[in-house]
Amino acid sequence: MSYNVGPGEAAQALTEIQRRQQQVIDLAWIPAWYWWAVGGLMVVLAVGVDIRTTAAIGITVPVFVLGLLAATGWVVGRAYRHAQLRNGLVDGRAVVAILSFVAVIVGGTIGLAFALRAGGVHYPATWACLAGGVVMGLLGPALNRALRRFMLGNRTGSAR
Amino acid sequence: MSVARFDELIHAPTRLSIVSLLAASEWADFKFIRDSVGLSDSALSKQLTTLEEAGYVEIRKSFVGKRPRTSARLTRTGRAAFELHVVALQEIVVRSGASILPR
Repeated sequence: MSYNVGPGEAAQALTEIQRRQQQVIDLAWIPAWYWWAVGGLMVVLAVGVDIRTTAAIGITVPVFVLGLLAATGWVVGRAYRHAQLRNGLVDGRAVVAILSFVAVIVGGTIGLAFALRAGGVHYPATWACLAGGVVMGLLGPALNRALRRFMLGNRTGSAR
Repeated sequence: MSVARFDELIHAPTRLSIVSLLAASEWADFKFIRDSVGLSDSALSKQLTTLEEAGYVEIRKSFVGKRPRTSARLTRTGRAAFELHVVALQEIVVRSGASILPR
């Protein structure tokens, strides 16, 4: 088949197509502060769990829930106002990456908390969530980068 | 393997940018498209109407609170036409012997 378009113009058009799709994908970028905020909220919740008084639970649980809702709402709402990502951009690899991330954070934190408690350490949940929160703050941006890479690879016209 | 089909309607520069934005979206907000592509409201409306008349785009008008919100998305026909157009562009580049394909 022959077209009235030269290779230079076609290449330019392909670049524009990739750039515009990337623009939408970049809306889904989760800022680094979000991971540290969620990690910090985990610690707040754990303090309540360790202290175990009505007042501590009454303060830390609402702070955790409201803080999580506010941070997540801000991140999701920012992207949602502009464009909703196409479902096909997130593939099985992305789902595995997200589930692995959650498993490492949740499993690691709970496991560490039990281990600390068994070792007679005071405030085991707080220390474990502190460690889990730091891991989340450090690994969150790496998850972000991996998800972005998967989505960029799933753009229409991308080399797979 | 997809069959290439060059699409003159999509290939026009402004529409190519709009359709590419929509290709990565389920729905995209009118203002986001307008600001991204750098068009006026009326110019974007005109382009979206052209794409809608071709059956490539669906327009949705809704309210968020009291504020009207207009969104657009590619229809199945529009997405298929876009994908075939991309294949056609890749074919042109490859046939020229150029090894540069966007990643």
